[in-house]
Amino acid sequence: MRYDIIIIGGGLAGVTAGLQLHKAGKRCLIISEGLSLHKTPKDEYIAAGGAFLPGDSVISGEWDGNALKAVRTRNLEGTRLEADHFILASGKFFSRGLVATMDAVIEPVFGCDVEFDSCRDKWYNDDFYAVQPFERFGVKPTEDGRVFIGGVPAANLWAAGEILAGETDIEQSALKIVSILVK
Amino acid sequence: MQESNISPNNFEQCLKCNLCTSVCPMMAANPHYPGPKQAGPDGERYRLKDPAFFDLTLKYCLNCKRCEVACPSGVKVGDIIQASRLKYGHQSNPLRDTILASTDFVGSLASPMAPTVNALLEWKPVKKMMNLFGVDSRRKFPSYSKLKFENWFREQVPSQENFRRFVSYFHGCYVNYNYPELGQDFVKLMNACGYGVRMLEGEKCCGVAMISNGMGRQAAVNGSKNLDAMRKALRDGSEAVLTSSSTCTFTMRDEYEHLLGLKTADIRPHLMLATKFIFDRVESGDIRLVFKEERRGKYVYHTACHMQKLGWTIYSTELLKMIPGMDLTVLPQECCGIAGTFGFKKENYPYSQLIGSKLFDLIKKLNPRAVITDCETCKWQIEMSTGYSVLNPISVLAEALDLEKTSRLNVAVPSR
Repeated sequence: MRYDIIIIGGGLAGVTAGLQLHKAGKRCLIISEGLSLHKTPKDEYIAAGGAFLPGDSVISGEWDGNALKAVRTRNLEGTRLEADHFILASGKFFSRGLVATMDAVIEPVFGCDVEFDSCRDKWYNDDFYAVQPFERFGVKPTEDGRVFIGGVPAANLWAAGEILAGETDIEQSALKIVSILVK
Repeated sequence: MQESNISPNNFEQCLKCNLCTSVCPMMAANPHYPGPKQAGPDGERYRLKDPAFFDLTLKYCLNCKRCEVACPSGVKVGDIIQASRLKYGHQSNPLRDTILASTDFVGSLASPMAPTVNALLEWKPVKKMMNLFGVDSRRKFPSYSKLKFENWFREQVPSQENFRRFVSYFHGCYVNYNYPELGQDFVKLMNACGYGVRMLEGEKCCGVAMISNGMGRQAAVNGSKNLDAMRKALRDGSEAVLTSSSTCTFTMRDEYEHLLGLKTADIRPHLMLATKFIFDRVESGDIRLVFKEERRGKYVYHTACHMQKLGWTIYSTELLKMIPGMDLTVLPQECCGIAGTFGFKKENYPYSQLIGSKLFDLIKKLNPRAVITDCETCKWQIEMSTGYSVLNPISVLAEALDLEKTSRLNVAVPSR
């Protein structure tokens, strides 16, 4: 299956990007871990003809150098999903966009570089109600929004939403990538 | 530690986030139902301590699996509920439930006398009697066919063996006893794609209705017979076992293992809906399709709950979008409410119609030429509740194809 843009994650960032890109005439596919809480924009996207895979997850990517060519999902088994661009909007820990191991925080699908404190003791704040440092961990992208893998920026894998490091405006981070991709 | 501490259906992974509760169609319609989180992972902790904690309201679970699709932690919420119903539950109306679930038995009795049975099922006094028996009199039964699909197919066997490539067809009860036209469309379509069709030897009902009516043992018997028949078919050279019903497919691929404990790992990759098989081969260039050029009009596609769980809507809709002139709208996924035998039962009928009402209103508003879906019970429910006719993608494709040109491209008749 071939699309212009494949979006990994059906949360606010993914659905916002998908809806805007679809309106701009791009053929999009959203792959969502769950059913998406953002029912209104999701339904609008689907009704407008956007493709949406609910309850599915990306299990592997196929690379040509630093360009992502295709992904495969758990439910679609043998089917290759190709696209010109991919947007990683898989969220933080709850949606498993990030996974914490004993000594590291990783991005489990593509192994994107993640910014986190290497000292585990500094992941938490003893004050339960304070901002927790781990909430700020995430993917640190290039200026225009592409992820790094092993220190090298990917050519066509962009990151949006909660998966980003630091404080994120979810919708704005998605719209920023939309504005680049519709050019 | 966590990794070595995972129970069947991994209920410990539940974070109590309630996403499942928010998407449960029964939850919104019926205040007596405790909801998937409470009925599933929460209740399971108690039931493991003492089966007396089993809650009879679990019978309201539609087994739609929307909870599992929504769960971000991979908890098999629906399977936990189904498994506990099989283990601790009992039938609320044993005779009715057993008859509703015994599709093969009832189908073989009804089929030879189809016109009489169909007329009787529409007759008011019979409807009243069924009402007393616990089947809602407002529910329209699917009509039985005089010609069983298996009998029709027997005549086709010699022509089917003229092909070089083969697929086996799991037709299911609905095609066999009620709607052989769909099976005939399947054979037409696969032949045009260059494949001869074979039957499974001794196909039984997939057992989905038995699972939801507390007849796990019978379902497991059917299941192992079906799996053995599929193993033999694959050994005998079929490239895959194909289906035209999303629910049968889902039951055999997932519930056989999760609920009945049958081993399916060797069969699962080869058992799929025909639309997936055809789509993948159209993409790889192994199958080429030529469509007739004509105006078609507006259609809507309804994703059945089990189709959503399979995640395969995209195969059916992408294939349908290949048809020139096809104006296809994919409806937002809503449960139609029937959930197999559930919606036939008198005590469930009002819930069933209430749950489906959103979908019915939307279809009426869009006023399509027809609705397309991969599930037969959704078909009954939508046809009864909206008046629009409901088609299977296989029939739509078979109708839209230029069968002759497609056959020629796929070398349907090999040189002998």
